Amino acid sequence: MVDTFNLPDVGEGLTEAEVVSWRVAVGDTVAVNDIVVEIETAKSLVELPVPFAGEVRELVVAEGETIEVGSPLIRIRAEGADDEDDADDAEDAEEAEHDAGSTTSTATAASGDGAGESRRDAAAGSSGTSGSSSGASSDSGALTGSGPKADAPRRRPRTRHADLGLVDDSDLPPMPAPAGGVAGVAADQPRHGRDLAEMVAKASPPVRALAKRLGVAVWELVGSGREGQVTRDDVERRAQQKKAAPGEAPAEPTTPPEPAFNGKLRPDAEREERIAVRGVRKATAANVTDMAQNVPHVSVFKEIDVSRTMEVRAALRQDPSYEGLSVSPMLFAAKAIIWAARRNPQINSSWHESHYVLKNYVNLGIAAATPRGLVVPVIHEAQTFSTRGLAAAITQLTVDAREGRTTPAEMQGGTLSITNIGPLGLDGGTPILPPGQSAIVALGQVRKKPWVVDGHVVPRDVMTIGGSFDHRLIDGEHAGRFITDVGSVLEEPGLLID
Amino acid sequence: MQPIQLLAPDGTLTEDETYSPYVDALDESTLRDLYRSMVVERRVDAEATSLQRQGQLSLWVQALGQEGAQAGTVTALRATDMIFPTYREHVMALHRGITPQQLVAQFRATAHSGWRPQDHRFNTYGVVLASQTLHATGWAMGIQRDAAAGVEAARDELVLACFGDGASSQGDVHESMVFASSYELPVLFFVQNNQWAISVPATTQARGPLADRAVGYGFEGVRVDGNDVLASYAVAARMAEQVRGGGPKLIESVTYRMGAHTTADDPTKYRTADEVEEWGAKDPVARYSTWLRGRGLIDDAFIDAVEAEAQDLASDLRRTIHELTPVTLEENFDTVYAEPHRQIEVEKAWLRDYEAGFAEDSAAGGKGGA
Repeated sequence: MVDTFNLPDVGEGLTEAEVVSWRVAVGDTVAVNDIVVEIETAKSLVELPVPFAGEVRELVVAEGETIEVGSPLIRIRAEGADDEDDADDAEDAEEAEHDAGSTTSTATAASGDGAGESRRDAAAGSSGTSGSSSGASSDSGALTGSGPKADAPRRRPRTRHADLGLVDDSDLPPMPAPAGGVAGVAADQPRHGRDLAEMVAKASPPVRALAKRLGVAVWELVGSGREGQVTRDDVERRAQQKKAAPGEAPAEPTTPPEPAFNGKLRPDAEREERIAVRGVRKATAANVTDMAQNVPHVSVFKEIDVSRTMEVRAALRQDPSYEGLSVSPMLFAAKAIIWAARRNPQINSSWHESHYVLKNYVNLGIAAATPRGLVVPVIHEAQTFSTRGLAAAITQLTVDAREGRTTPAEMQGGTLSITNIGPLGLDGGTPILPPGQSAIVALGQVRKKPWVVDGHVVPRDVMTIGGSFDHRLIDGEHAGRFITDVGSVLEEPGLLID
Repeated sequence: MQPIQLLAPDGTLTEDETYSPYVDALDESTLRDLYRSMVVERRVDAEATSLQRQGQLSLWVQALGQEGAQAGTVTALRATDMIFPTYREHVMALHRGITPQQLVAQFRATAHSGWRPQDHRFNTYGVVLASQTLHATGWAMGIQRDAAAGVEAARDELVLACFGDGASSQGDVHESMVFASSYELPVLFFVQNNQWAISVPATTQARGPLADRAVGYGFEGVRVDGNDVLASYAVAARMAEQVRGGGPKLIESVTYRMGAHTTADDPTKYRTADEVEEWGAKDPVARYSTWLRGRGLIDDAFIDAVEAEAQDLASDLRRTIHELTPVTLEENFDTVYAEPHRQIEVEKAWLRDYEAGFAEDSAAGGKGGA
């Protein structure tokens, strides 16, 4: 007979290993625990001692090859086995191994599980049919087949998802009659499916203590407190009901039951998901890494009153010539940025180590979240656009980006960018510069806030503007003046009138 | 502070005014048992390591190199003294009558623990670092209260709290020592400084001797050569005397982990072969064996007999290991509480249902290998 030594998991949860070198050759005689092979796992180089004594019949894996845990490594012909037994020994050994392995795993699976009976029978039957080979390896089979990790991985497919609603709890200790908040549940909801949800009933320690004192099972209550917390009142009410009418269910309106809890954040997703990095994500990662590592960023912020801008915006929205166009705070911010760039040339520039270039035009990048990820399409020669033209350009660009139609050419050549974080409900942030640019402006959300006007606190539309700048050529002064200029225009859009 | 050493690596014994009397008081059979404890465990340890490499254990934690520290210390205790081990105190475990099979059950993941702590006055192995010191201190509080309530047996009982140099950096150890000191609890803190907390050297964790830390808590700390089984015995015996009915003490046993932290670790990545070789020359078994032979306490026949006994235990472990089958789903749930518990019943029902939700094992037909 021939024993097969399968690759065990020598670390904790390793799945594969590379055979580095064999210490024995076919024909060698080995004793139990002789080192036969050196393998390399993700963690370490490990020498493997062989669990059998005998003659080496086959080195199943070549040096340099990587195999999965549970795959055969080496076959040993037992001492004293006579040659006739050797016919087809490799196949026999393999079969025997599987018999031993499956018997063990079946017993394990069956042990806690009434439904396992049939599987146990099936395995017993198969041991019988493989006859002598199974018997021959009964000793070694256990060693190769029953170890914690030495079984060849065999994953049985799921026939259905575990569902709390499928738990047959007919033999469980009876639940007390539903009461209080639970009353309605019994009527319109299969009760057993909610067991885990009930178990994780929320209650503070003092409430739990009270419940214990009053003999109330806290998991039977649907809490009336915040986020379903069981309150002192819930417990006391239940205690009184129990006293008044033991076992009787009072009819009270209930809150809907919590969804069944299956132990996952997202019930339908895998426990961990591996997402390949490619496309937009890959490009974004490369760009932000490069810029974050190589460009010293500086950020400034300013809170401004944009009420007048919002008035102009309301007026433009009524204007038929703007029909169908997006008239957002970003439109005014774009105009303001172009205006401020004219007064602060340092901002609209690019750094080239030995020199830097001031751009006398604005190719305005607008960062947009799309289904494919973050893209920054560019409005070329933005300084030439009228307000309406700019509104049309922004509208078009946003639609294209959202639908994934932005062409690579449309993303090239930006000189200055905007990231509009207001729609995310944010006020400020420190964005990373797009490649080749020296400034990116972040636009916050427009909010009603208390603001001091002429010594009185009044509600005004307020927004935070800020951004990041290439500190190599943009000093705090440059950035400050620029952002202040942008703010001035948004506070007083009349400045835009040339 | 030089560690207390009686037996040099070359097997020569030196006299020490304080500690030699403890060794002198040992009878010959105890001296031979110290040797047997170390050798037998070393063999079982090696077998368990091989079994892990062969897929029979999920993990194994070698005690190789620390046999002297453990054998000396456990021998100095009474059989009734409660021990709170980490997961490497195999010599102590075998000394307390735990079988190799019981010892490896947890590492085969077939049981949460292979033995009942009360049967051996030896707690379950605790993998959570330094938790042992808290448990031991709490246990000692119980002893103190028993003694106050007139339980005679509790009057001079002590508790051994095992931990390592890595765990010494945990807050738990600090808390334990503060409480043990404040309440004058009968805890003997026993830190085996095996020089490596996985890959972090002890010198990083403690710039001075760990034993010195005891002073800050207001009790005595002693440093002993853990590879000297006689000094380990003598120091533990002296400390134990004082801990009984008195306050806590700390022993820092300076030793060396010759193997990996666990079988999932590769020490060649963080320590040099020279260092391992240097400590190998200080082996606890070799020096003790030399001394015993020199004194005529053991001979070849005795050594062979111990080897044979060790080999038998190891072979027996190999032969019977597959009899260690996993606890069943039922057992896992049924042993959580002493009485039926609704929450546990619900969870059991859920898991049973989950387990039943798989297709029949396709390999059950025995053709899986084809």
